[in-house]
Amino acid sequence: MISDVDVKVAVYRHIAESGRVPTAAECAERVGAPVADIVAAWERLQSNRLLLLAAGPSGEDAPWIRMAPPFSGVPTQHAVEVRGTEYFANCAWDALGVVAALGGEGVVRSRCERSRVPLELECGPDGPPPSDWLFHCHVPAAHWWDDLVFT
Amino acid sequence: MLFFRSEEEVRGWCRDRGLPRRPTASMDQLWELATTWYASRLEPESRRPAPDEIRRLFHRIGLTDPFWDPQSDEFGHA
Repeated sequence: MISDVDVKVAVYRHIAESGRVPTAAECAERVGAPVADIVAAWERLQSNRLLLLAAGPSGEDAPWIRMAPPFSGVPTQHAVEVRGTEYFANCAWDALGVVAALGGEGVVRSRCERSRVPLELECGPDGPPPSDWLFHCHVPAAHWWDDLVFT
Repeated sequence: MLFFRSEEEVRGWCRDRGLPRRPTASMDQLWELATTWYASRLEPESRRPAPDEIRRLFHRIGLTDPFWDPQSDEFGHA
């Protein structure tokens, strides 16, 4: 019997190694469990706000991972390079979160949302260099999970 | 959750959309949030912080506005 922790670790290790989220089949192979058990574990992890799933292309397909915070399952405007691998983050906060999750050093590439001026932040062991850039979130913290994609 | 290069850009972006300007965080504060929240995310024992822990974290780094309170009902629905 696999545990949710085993599945969570498998998801995150797959992302760390490849830069992309695993399919249910890939996750099943990694932990040695049936796909149905993986999907059930993913759904429990989603209930605990550790994953955000999206429905597969048809009703019979397994769901896929839209978010494994701080990582995004789809390309976004918040790209992060760590040790030569490119990752995508869900938002500005998660962009720095990807760096933190992968050891604390990496390059964040994003933009100013209004001016579209590019942002490149080279984060070292002490974090990003001194910067006047700001982080702004429209959605209050109490409502972040109401619609996480919008947040 | 977005980056802006200045306060003026934040105000302009909100004004363009008819949205209220919310409290901002500096890059140093964002780094504190990111490392506290995610540094152990690849480890088996990692978990999402509980609401009390989230509140303490925000207060520790100076984000004390009710906007950052994970259980505030001050804002109704977003």
